[in-house]
Amino acid sequence: MEQPIVQMLNVTKRIGKRTIIDHLSLDLPAGEVFGFLGPNGAGKTTMIRMMVGLISITGGEIKIDGHSISKQFEKAIRHVGAIVENPEMYKYMTGYQNLVHFARMVPGVEHSRIQEVTELVGLGSRINDKVNTYSLGMRQRLGVAQAILHRPKLLILDEPTNGLDPMGIRELRDYLQRLAKQEGLAIFVSSHLLAEMELMCDRVAIIQQGKLVEVVKVEKNRESERTATQRVVFEVDDLEAALAVAATEGIAGGRAGRAIAIGADKEAVAIFNAKLVAAGIKVYGIQAQHQSLEDRFLEKTGGGHIV
Amino acid sequence: MYNFSKLLLNENMKIYLRTRTWIMTGLLLALVVFMTVPVYFMSKDSAMSMWTLVKYESAVGYLLIAMFTAVVAAGSVAEEFTSGTIKLLLIRPWMRWKILLSKYISVVLFALLQVVLLYAFTIAFNFLFFDHTNVTAEEIHGFFVGDGQYEGSAAVYNMKYYAMRFIALLVTSMIAFMLSTVFRSGGLAIGLSIFLVFSSISIGPIIGLIDYKWVDYLFFVHLDLVPYLTGNVGDRTLGFAISVLAVYYALFAALTWFVFEKRDVGA
Repeated sequence: MEQPIVQMLNVTKRIGKRTIIDHLSLDLPAGEVFGFLGPNGAGKTTMIRMMVGLISITGGEIKIDGHSISKQFEKAIRHVGAIVENPEMYKYMTGYQNLVHFARMVPGVEHSRIQEVTELVGLGSRINDKVNTYSLGMRQRLGVAQAILHRPKLLILDEPTNGLDPMGIRELRDYLQRLAKQEGLAIFVSSHLLAEMELMCDRVAIIQQGKLVEVVKVEKNRESERTATQRVVFEVDDLEAALAVAATEGIAGGRAGRAIAIGADKEAVAIFNAKLVAAGIKVYGIQAQHQSLEDRFLEKTGGGHIV
Repeated sequence: MYNFSKLLLNENMKIYLRTRTWIMTGLLLALVVFMTVPVYFMSKDSAMSMWTLVKYESAVGYLLIAMFTAVVAAGSVAEEFTSGTIKLLLIRPWMRWKILLSKYISVVLFALLQVVLLYAFTIAFNFLFFDHTNVTAEEIHGFFVGDGQYEGSAAVYNMKYYAMRFIALLVTSMIAFMLSTVFRSGGLAIGLSIFLVFSSISIGPIIGLIDYKWVDYLFFVHLDLVPYLTGNVGDRTLGFAISVLAVYYALFAALTWFVFEKRDVGA
């Protein structure tokens, strides 16, 4: 396996007596969209700020591309592009001047690259307008543009969908995926929006109160749903009769309100349905209840802190 | 590691792309015009020396420059924090101290540019209106402060005057820069440093009269170096005054860089 692009080793952040990140260890593989999911106040932004060297690390170590962010800052940050919280740019300058500003800070970013990036994020002719005339969506695009300007290996986006309308979120998601494919970079996204993470990421780390709870593979989850046994709910007219059918078939059936729930894969669902119909029971509806990331998240975090 | 001049280019761009920079520069030049022209038309002394006007305009102009430099210094660091752009600036392959140094140098360059403009414009503009025969400094200024007399021409005195004021300007702009970095509040940095500039004029000399040795080691007793041009002030020499200022300057710089280097750039 190739070297992970980011290695976090027992990372701890304490401010005063409060422990914000508690011995968190996590490796981010290259070439994936990796989500960082947690309720508000779980420490997502703190973790990101440590990853880009904006705040100090109390204990442990973060390595990016093999370089320690605290000891070899210049080397480690060289291949990182990031938006931390909102994409705040210099409002009195044009979008283009903003990009020139950040291009100058890294060697080897030519003017043609600025053009290229402008095209990629779709800013077009508005690039020559002052940033204070931009909408939030356009500032977000400019934010992404400055983050990918120097062809980073790792793109870090903190709550990238914050304040965007559904259209903007969709566009962002689309070009993040385009970036991951076209430029082949690893993308690290933090969010508390579950559905968003499920659509955007290949893998998601769930954190709570500064601790890593679980790493979930999103893609695998979707595939396994098709073949694996899952909870299926049958809405029927005669619940008792349906339970009796289940009992004779040796299927563990349970009540789910006024419906019957069984654990079954696709084939078993069809068979059980046929049995019910054969027994003269009316089946009004069949619903598979797949466990979404949201369920996993709620299950793991106890659900107390979702906003 | 990389090309430091690019950082300077950036910081200068951020100063000169702002409208306020040009408004400030315009005000400075307007000050000269609006002092010279009325005096020319209202003065009955047809042989008035240009150096008289240069003297007053430079004195007022320097106060303006001290304020403007405080504004630019405060903007340079504090505004990056208030606007949030500091987060984008510090995640580049540059050590923080270098970024801060580029900011400080660009502030000093701004101050220098204003001083050069003031110097050149006061002389050029008044040259057009008033008598420019060579006069001695004593004819123009008269001397109340200091022990000796200044022997020499008004033109040479003017140059030395600018040098003395520029040293003080370096110190006050460092203070503004420090306040801007430490408190991350532009308003506080501007307000406090302007207060220091004015108090050094009014309170400084009074405190200087207090007959305790430790008073000599307060920096703002020494912010007005001009009296030293005519000799020692009390038992203090110019060298001593500059040394005291240099020590404070170094302390302020050390504090500024230390705070900036260690700061957690949080919410």
